[in-house]
Amino acid sequence: MGNLRDKYCIVGVGETEYSRNSGRTTRAMAVEAIKKAMNDAGLGPKDVDGMMSYQQNDSTPSLIVGPDLGIRLNFWVDMVGGGSSTEALIGLAMGAIEVGMCRTVALFRSMNGYTEVRIGGTGARAAAPVRGQELATRPYGMTSAGQVFAPTFMRHMHDYGTSSAQVAHVKVAHSKHASQNPKALYKERVTVEDVLNSRWIVKPLRLLDCCVETDNATCLVVTSAERARDLRQRPIYLMGVAGRVSKPRTDFPWAHGPLSRVAGYYAKDIVFPMAGIGPEDVDLTGSYDAFTFTTLLQLEEYGFCKKGEGGAYVSSGIIELAGKRPNNTSGGHLCEAYTHGMNLVIENVRQLRGLADDYCPGWAEGKHSYDYSPGKCRQVKDAEIAMNLGWSTPATGSALILRR
Amino acid sequence: MAEYAKPLPSITSESKPFWDACRRHRFVIQRCLDCGSFQHYPRGVCASCWGDRLEWRESRGQGKVYTFTVTERTQTQGFREEVPYVVAYVELDEGVQVLTNLVGCAPGDVRIGMRVAVTFEDVNDQVSIPRFAPLEEASGAR
Ligand SMILES: [Zn+2]
Repeated sequence: MGNLRDKYCIVGVGETEYSRNSGRTTRAMAVEAIKKAMNDAGLGPKDVDGMMSYQQNDSTPSLIVGPDLGIRLNFWVDMVGGGSSTEALIGLAMGAIEVGMCRTVALFRSMNGYTEVRIGGTGARAAAPVRGQELATRPYGMTSAGQVFAPTFMRHMHDYGTSSAQVAHVKVAHSKHASQNPKALYKERVTVEDVLNSRWIVKPLRLLDCCVETDNATCLVVTSAERARDLRQRPIYLMGVAGRVSKPRTDFPWAHGPLSRVAGYYAKDIVFPMAGIGPEDVDLTGSYDAFTFTTLLQLEEYGFCKKGEGGAYVSSGIIELAGKRPNNTSGGHLCEAYTHGMNLVIENVRQLRGLADDYCPGWAEGKHSYDYSPGKCRQVKDAEIAMNLGWSTPATGSALILRR
Repeated sequence: MAEYAKPLPSITSESKPFWDACRRHRFVIQRCLDCGSFQHYPRGVCASCWGDRLEWRESRGQGKVYTFTVTERTQTQGFREEVPYVVAYVELDEGVQVLTNLVGCAPGDVRIGMRVAVTFEDVNDQVSIPRFAPLEEASGAR
């Protein structure tokens, strides 16, 4: 980012309830999440003039949602995308502000991911004509994200001896975190045995290796560090960003290293030099957990452990709240909610503020017990630097480094 | 012939020669006349050197399983009635990788590295779908 490092900040975050029955339109949910994020920052309708969202034909565009809040936009864009879009759009928001197209951007994702458009492409989509990238996959019954990713996970197990039990620890860790999070859809702690005893979906993925599906809207507000100083919350500075970094070939992605080499392999060389830090400087991570395996593969690729040693890393306790570098302290996509990545960034912003909204009575004043037993605290002590590892597919990912 | 319930490929101008060959139970791969690279799926340009001169070479249709997954649950028409089924990447001896289904063996018996050969299912008057089976049992092995 060169001279843009620390020049932009996330100043507001907000979300609707995470549920499986919103009973509302994506338009109404987006309005609520944006309003909450702007209230969080202490901003009114005249203070935001940029809006961004991402969607897969399952949301309501910025130009509809903005005016619902009385916001006149100087810049807006609705991008096609799911996972890895949040980080990429934060980078684009910085660019839009830097060139002077707008001053402050509200960035949202609104989706009825359970009651309207589910991840596996069920309902109407199952009968859709086969075209585009689906040409090569649908005739063979490969239609869901789990099916697209599972061969990569299978090959990682083959190449490195990674076991299902090791990977199950990702779900175990995230479920512990969710038990400290009043917002989480699944607050119950699970064991390795629970994961291994859950039914097969697409091998090597069992039910509890897969994320939840939820209805929700989420929002982040990005502005310049200069403006951020006068706002309600402690600014969270953007140190580095890498957006939608991809592997070179879509036909045989393992032609450039092992199949389990995911996009983070390339993204790390952009995001760490930009931020001027290395993995050892990161206090907590938000490694995208559409599936347990995605968390593991990305932690390897960004250098939090050696390639092939992700199984040992995630089962060592390091990624738990009491560990050296907790991952997805909200419970993530496996337990809190599925938002295509935005809730994972929101969580890291709250952690860096010292304001994790857990069960500590004084959390809103930053008073935490740091007691990580069930139903208590989920604040990471003295968290200074956080990182988000966004995942779209094994071949595409984004990254973000934040500091307080 | 009973109605084929699974999704059918949409045949494009780039892929028509491939699907025409499948109809004759031949598995063909694109080869670049400029740089000699093979590629699959079919497309209009060589991904290695951007050459436009692509020819079709017949593959022996044999290779090994690079990786796979067993689907136990799906909503996809035609497949949901057949779970569990295997989706695999097969690495052909000519060097290209092919997304396909493995048939002719129990999903539990599939192993990375096992030898497989192509077999074709004539699903209607126009389309034959190439799938792969363990080498000794592959009826379409050539
Ligand atoms: Zn060529």
